[in-house]
Amino acid sequence: MVTMNGSVPDRARDADTAAALTYQPHVDLRVEQGDVVVVADVPGATPGSIDVAFADGVLSLHAQVPARDLPGRVVRQEYGIGDFRRQFRLGEGFDATGITAVYALGVLTVRVPKLAAVRPRKVPVQGG
Amino acid sequence: MRTTRPGSAHPLDELCAEVDRLWTTLIAAPPLHGWGSTPRAAFPAVNVRETDDAVLVEAEIPGLAAADVSVSVADDTLVLEGERRTDGPRPAGEGAGDEVVWHRRERGSGRFERRIPLAVAVAADRVEARLVDGVLTVRCPKAPEAQPRRVPVSGG
Repeated sequence: MVTMNGSVPDRARDADTAAALTYQPHVDLRVEQGDVVVVADVPGATPGSIDVAFADGVLSLHAQVPARDLPGRVVRQEYGIGDFRRQFRLGEGFDATGITAVYALGVLTVRVPKLAAVRPRKVPVQGG
Repeated sequence: MRTTRPGSAHPLDELCAEVDRLWTTLIAAPPLHGWGSTPRAAFPAVNVRETDDAVLVEAEIPGLAAADVSVSVADDTLVLEGERRTDGPRPAGEGAGDEVVWHRRERGSGRFERRIPLAVAVAADRVEARLVDGVLTVRCPKAPEAQPRRVPVSGG
């Protein structure tokens, strides 16, 4: 069973951090044959600026987003720019060493594989 | 309150009649606000800045490659169009075969069109757009007549 914190679906400010400009990314989260796949919108980051960590059953995503101040006066401001942070409590039974993360087109995809020991195994039955 | 009287219908029949009446009223009534056309935040969200010589529009469109988005200017309105697909296998039961369980689907998908009035005349033929790491930046140079002109003051 996967449980997650961060119930605010909108890109709300993260109240937990002192840093003023931290946002929760929108995510899709699915479980594929026991593996957890998290897809997060983190535009403006770079592969080197993203930290993915898994400890005590909690998957933590942190993407640093550098400021990109456009010149001129503000005509319309519909979103803020800052780091993205989000955590998911996945629980036990995952292979921390097998986690993969790919960043492309502003989208981070993290796959947390289930431990082989936990994976259901089909046992062939031999005839006598 | 006593609701049954000799000779009247069973209370449940009255309730049924009342529910029927409410349904009829509801169906005949004009749609509730937002019903059938759920208001959604416009996608993509944009930030707009204006300098002396250009209008700069920035939009976050993660997941889109340059080929997936169309940027055009007509009648001093910037139009952003495209389609965002949130990749991944189809949910179980839709022929994907493998067992997939979705726990969160917050990333919107589908076609979008956003029209942003620029308020000033722009040189449509000199508009430039860049898409890097899901951030689209469009620079719309102002038409010469829309740029501030410094008027030399001559002495007498």
